Formats: sequence, structure tokens, C-alpha cells
Amino acid sequence: MNESEPQSWLADARARLDESAQSLDAETLSRLNRARQAALEQRRSRGLRGWRLPAAGLAASCALVLAVVAWYPAGHQAGPAAPAHPIASSDAEVGADDGIEFYQDLEFYAWLDAQEEESGG
Amino acid sequence: MATITLELPRELPRQTDRSMADTTKQRALDEFLRGIERRALRMTELATASREEALDLVQDAMFGFVRHYADKPEADWPPLFYRVLDNRINDWYRRRQVRNRWIGTFLRSPEDDDEDPVDQAPDPTDPGPVLRLAGSQAAVALDAALRALPHRQRQAFLLRIWEGLDVAATAAAMRCSEGSVKTHLSRALAALRRALKEHL
Repeated sequence: MNESEPQSWLADARARLDESAQSLDAETLSRLNRARQAALEQRRSRGLRGWRLPAAGLAASCALVLAVVAWYPAGHQAGPAAPAHPIASSDAEVGADDGIEFYQDLEFYAWLDAQEEESGG
Repeated sequence: MATITLELPRELPRQTDRSMADTTKQRALDEFLRGIERRALRMTELATASREEALDLVQDAMFGFVRHYADKPEADWPPLFYRVLDNRINDWYRRRQVRNRWIGTFLRSPEDDDEDPVDQAPDPTDPGPVLRLAGSQAAVALDAALRALPHRQRQAFLLRIWEGLDVAATAAAMRCSEGSVKTHLSRALAALRRALKEHL
């Protein structure tokens, strides 16, 4: 600003502008207030999101680890269950079709088979 | 007697400190925006000649300021806020230019060509909606004179003289050099002095 500028009319201009800013109507002030609150709320919710994101990430990681742990032994057992010779392979296929109950009853079938052989022989 | 030492978890005070700092920052932001919003609205209204447009732009500026600059030092907030607001006003001018160009291209009737362009120019003495508030003749004249200024000159005047920013802060808000601020302000003062000779 020019230092030699007479200050009186500038002070007057400032006063007029202040007056116009102070005499805004209620509806305008209310809208300004709502705008300010919305802008601040955006920051608040971003802060909360900042907390939630790591927590959600941790929960998702735990769930993933649990899922892998729960799945992996079952999948891992399927591998060794596949025997070296062909007949075992067909057993595995039967097992795949009939489900885990087949394996649970395997001893029973073995016993039944033995009984039939004994009675037949 | 055995002494039992209780170790409090270290995270708790840290979190409490952080939430207290957040609350303090939130309060400071609220106070800052509350203190500046009326003048920001009036400045924007002088630029757009519309209360509705001005309210929208100030709200946008508040959002942008809080999103991008809330974590800056408080001393930097005024120029940063006005910088965001100035961006919004400039965007508004650009959008309006494009809209006017399209409207001019497609909706111009043959009669429009016969109209005198001087008649179409905005009347610089038209007080506009703002001056419902300030009834005096001087306020009307001041408002009209400010609206008649080019945008950069008006911003330089309002930021330096009304908002009280120094030259460096005004330059930061207007994204120009300090020399440009001085030039814009000098021209604004000369134009206003001429226009308001009889009123102020």
C-alpha cells in the first residue's frame, strides 16, 4: 500500500465493508454456519476413518490367516492320502465322490469284507 | 513390604493426547472459519454479484481448505483459505465464460445482433443484492465501485485493506508476485478514489 495514501477514506471504506459483513441476514448466517459445520465434520469423519482403516485391515488379515490355517491342513491331507499305486488313486476318487463319511466307515467296510471272505471261504 | 509397581499401558496416554490435540485443532479451525466466513462471503459476492453463488463458493472453499490445509500452522491459514477461495472464484469465472459462449452460440436470436452491446454490459452503479444490507449512499457507491474493479485489483484491495493481510500473504493468496500485488493495489486505490470522491 502506498504510505502517502490518505487513510481516512480507506478507514471509511473498511468500516462500510465491516458493516455490510456484520449485517448479513439470519438465513445467510445459518447457511454459513451449516457450511462450516459440514466442512469440520468432514475432517472429524476422516479422523475416525483413519482409526478404522488399520483396525479393519487387521481384522481382515486375521480372518485371512484363520481361513488359510483352517483350509491348509485339509488340503494338505489330501496330498499324502494320494497313494503311490493306482488302486489307491481310485480310492481317492471314490472318496472325493462320497465324502469324508466313506473314510470314517472304512474300518467297518474292511471288517465286513473280511467277514464275507471268511463266510465264502 | 513388597512394592508393587503398576505399569500403565503407554498407548492410552498417547491416544488421549492425540484426541485432545484433534479437539483443539477442531476448535481452532471452527474459530478461524467463523471469524473469516462473513468477509469471505462478501468478497465472493462482490466477485459474483450473487448471494447464492457466493454461498456455494465459500462452502466449497471451506471444504477444500479443511481437507488440504487444516494441518498447516495456524498463522498460514488466512492466505491459504483465501487462496482456495480465489481458486473457486476463478473456476466460477471460467465456467461462466464457457456457459456464456455456448449460450451465445446456440441460443442467440437474430434480434440479439441488433442490440447495442453497451446496453448489455453490467451497470457499474447497480447496487446488487448485497446492498440491501447497507442502506447508505456511500455503502452503495463503495459496493458498486468494488464490483466495477477487475477481479485481481478487487482481490488485492480486499485482502490488503479489508482483511489486513501483508503483501507477502496477499501474494500467496493470489498466487502472484509481491510486485503484482502492489501494482494491482495501486490501480485499485486510484480507481476507487476516483469513483468514491463524492461519497467517502
